[in-house]
Amino acid sequence: MTGALATTAAVVVFVVAYALIATERIPRTAAALSGAALLAALGIVGAEEMFFSEETGVDWNVIFLLLGMMIVVSVVKQTGLFDFLAIWASKRAKGRPFRVMVMLVVITAVASAFLDNVTTVLLIAPVTLLVCDRLGVPPVPFLIAEVMASNIGGTATLIGDPPNIIIASRSGLSFNDFLVNLAPIVIVLMVVFIGLCRVLFRDAFVYHPERVDRVMALDEREAIRDGALLVRSLVVLAGIIAGFVLHAALHIEPAVVALLGAGVIVVVSRTEPREYLEEVEWGTLVFFMGLFVMVGALVEVGVIERLGEAAVAAVGDRYLLAATVLLGGSAILSGIVDNIPYVATMTPLVQDLVDATPDPQQGEAMWWALALGADLGGNATAVGASANVVVLGIAARNGHPISFWEFTKYGLIVAAVTVALTWPYVWLRYFAMG
Amino acid sequence: MRARDIAEDYPTVGPDDDAMQTAQLLAQRRLGAIVVVDDSGKPVAVLPGSQVLNFVIPQYVQDDPGLARVYDEKSADEFSAKLAGRRVRDVLSPRELRDVEVVDAEATVLEVAAVMARMHSPVVAVVDDGRMIGVVTVGSLLDHVLPSA
Repeated sequence: MTGALATTAAVVVFVVAYALIATERIPRTAAALSGAALLAALGIVGAEEMFFSEETGVDWNVIFLLLGMMIVVSVVKQTGLFDFLAIWASKRAKGRPFRVMVMLVVITAVASAFLDNVTTVLLIAPVTLLVCDRLGVPPVPFLIAEVMASNIGGTATLIGDPPNIIIASRSGLSFNDFLVNLAPIVIVLMVVFIGLCRVLFRDAFVYHPERVDRVMALDEREAIRDGALLVRSLVVLAGIIAGFVLHAALHIEPAVVALLGAGVIVVVSRTEPREYLEEVEWGTLVFFMGLFVMVGALVEVGVIERLGEAAVAAVGDRYLLAATVLLGGSAILSGIVDNIPYVATMTPLVQDLVDATPDPQQGEAMWWALALGADLGGNATAVGASANVVVLGIAARNGHPISFWEFTKYGLIVAAVTVALTWPYVWLRYFAMG
Repeated sequence: MRARDIAEDYPTVGPDDDAMQTAQLLAQRRLGAIVVVDDSGKPVAVLPGSQVLNFVIPQYVQDDPGLARVYDEKSADEFSAKLAGRRVRDVLSPRELRDVEVVDAEATVLEVAAVMARMHSPVVAVVDDGRMIGVVTVGSLLDHVLPSA
């Protein structure tokens, strides 16, 4: 199939699959995979375009970076590190509820910058429920604050949030580029977020002095299941982070760093395949593959090119306006639909915009606007990010159901405040003072 | 050999009986499970001891078994307090309330064994005309099917 017919078919398949993903009428992996299969069956893309092309094919950098980090997490998870940290922190906070929340939120944000957000909240949620139970405070505000901190913290680095991984692979920006450009504003956002928590969840911070002993009696050292494994995992993790920091200088792709790390941690942990593959979400990886093929088909038939030309023409020389629209628009859309397909679709378009921007720093600002909007917008609603959905599930299973609107009520405020704060940052850093 | 031949007398409780007393009965008599019967003597559920544990042990400790070790002895003892003021029907899982499986008094030993295997249950109620006449425990069943040592 070629020409106008192919273009129409590619667009129709893409739109239908996207609608199915957004409405969750069928599982997202099935929607992406069958969309990709249909495009192949129609002859719009072939094996060459799907598997071996950097422009139109599966982005293997993204797939293998995710796979590598999922393997690392599977091993780190077995050490009991998170249970240790959370109990230690709660004891340091002397059982004062707000201090406990601050400690847990900071741990979650820092961990999310280096590990997958979903995994981070899965690891921190059980021990949070335990601490809240001991303190006699409602756990729901703590869980909501943690997942939001995870989405904010994940924004800081290349590996913190899947949209950043996609942006990095397509733009060629390095781990340090992300760190230098996103981490400063994320730190500011975390401080503001903690202040917001104090106000939003003020009713939850009821201090029961008589219950503090119940937290102080917990023994965090018992949480470490295997001390030797913990030490080895931390050494490998440090090596992986050093690898990410140096990847641009050493000319190694981040995906290669993650795979090397995964290989080393598998060897030194001496765990079984069942254990080190436990956290690998095959469904998610296949979803990414299908998605890349569908977006690739739009590139192949020239739709993205024409949309890009239209966007460039519409922007003209109003680059600040373009960054502003990208930031705000991405935030709104990411609150409504999964931010992964959104960013996968937007990256080729934004690339055109970046190429058309004469000032390279302002061009790069387009990527940061996309990343900040997509990552932070995920906090807006209960379905805005995968981690939100996971926390709702954990809360319900533990007898503390959180409704869509209860989450969204807080989410809209947090997303609006954090996104609004990033705009002056983008403006000052890349346009006013650039 | 039929189910009625290996059925034995076994304590029963009602769905509205006190959960704590039921748990104590399981403990004192070292029972693996107890049959819950309605007013007419008809079995409505089997409550295994493991479900009592499932009820008292918080879900988050079940999700993250490593957490079980961080408790001190005193706190661990507090868990059973969750049974206070609860009834047997509160402790039963929805599945246990929905799928009660009984065997007829005339069922063969193999039929009884098949039901137990499918339900992962240590006991099965034996009924005659809808009324419970006793239970077959996994111990007595194995005793009848295994070659004698």
